[in-house]
Amino acid sequence: MRLATRLGIALVLLLTLMGLGVHYGATYDENWPHPSGDQLQDNYDEFTDDHQLVSGEVQSISEDTMTIHVTDSANEVAAELEITHHDATDQVQPGGYVQVYGVLESDRTMTADELVVVNENETAQQYKLLTSIVGVLLAIAYFFHHWKLSLTKLGFEPRTTDQEDTHDG
Amino acid sequence: MAELLSHVLIAYVLFTIASWRLEWLTKRWVAIGMIGALLPDLNRIGMFVDDATIETTLGVPFGVDALHTLGGVILLSGIGALVLTEAHRRAFSVLLAGALTHLITDGLKAYADAEAGAWLYPFTWYRHPTPNLYVSTDQSVLLVTGTLAVTVFLCDRYWSDQ
Repeated sequence: MRLATRLGIALVLLLTLMGLGVHYGATYDENWPHPSGDQLQDNYDEFTDDHQLVSGEVQSISEDTMTIHVTDSANEVAAELEITHHDATDQVQPGGYVQVYGVLESDRTMTADELVVVNENETAQQYKLLTSIVGVLLAIAYFFHHWKLSLTKLGFEPRTTDQEDTHDG
Repeated sequence: MAELLSHVLIAYVLFTIASWRLEWLTKRWVAIGMIGALLPDLNRIGMFVDDATIETTLGVPFGVDALHTLGGVILLSGIGALVLTEAHRRAFSVLLAGALTHLITDGLKAYADAEAGAWLYPFTWYRHPTPNLYVSTDQSVLLVTGTLAVTVFLCDRYWSDQ
């Protein structure tokens, strides 16, 4: 495939990807069955007295209640909720992250029917970040073991010229 | 999502096993599959620039999590395939397959309402039931995928030396 054709198709795909992101952002709130942080901030009462799924960082926790912060699309605190009957005292600490499914009350409390501890504390989040970095480095290293950058062809080509049939595109 | 190391190892395991039956699926394509497994998590650029900032810049609504969907990875695989100098259709297929291993694995993780994310977007916003198998920081996921990857690596070397 000629370089100009490759660049042209890549540009079209990139613009389509941008369009997908715009469509996703524009239609998310009406299609996701639970309130986003932005929606909780703007129209909290619209979502009360019904089962909702919310997630947020744990601020404090005691025997029967925990306080979480739900954030908006700017990663600012959109709502502070008090979760009751959570049964997770031994599973999560302040700084951890939870998902809660339950009835949202108008007094900014939620009785947890189900609770999932995503991160038990900040260390768990760091574990996820560090292992993810190792994963990215592993994949990239393995890729460069088998492929190399060709500046003349402006793209990656195989390092070895074995008997693979690569003439399919 | 699980952490990315597990996603990469899952792709390595599946593509390497497939390579035992598919002659064309050599290690260079296993490497492409592993890169494909990274694609859905390109939405993690949200850690550095949030949706609100992008929306303000563009002047329209925007959701970077579109990258973590079927439509997003189809387009990303297309773009990724064009970064290679040859075999673009094969590269697209392998990148997409790698990305699908990631999305399907994420479809098994725990949600408090027992329904997975809407990863089939833009074809549907349907959320399928999830078996709630794991959470993203569950270290047993890496233990299982790591053990599988080592086993497959050793088997692959053994049979390659035969």
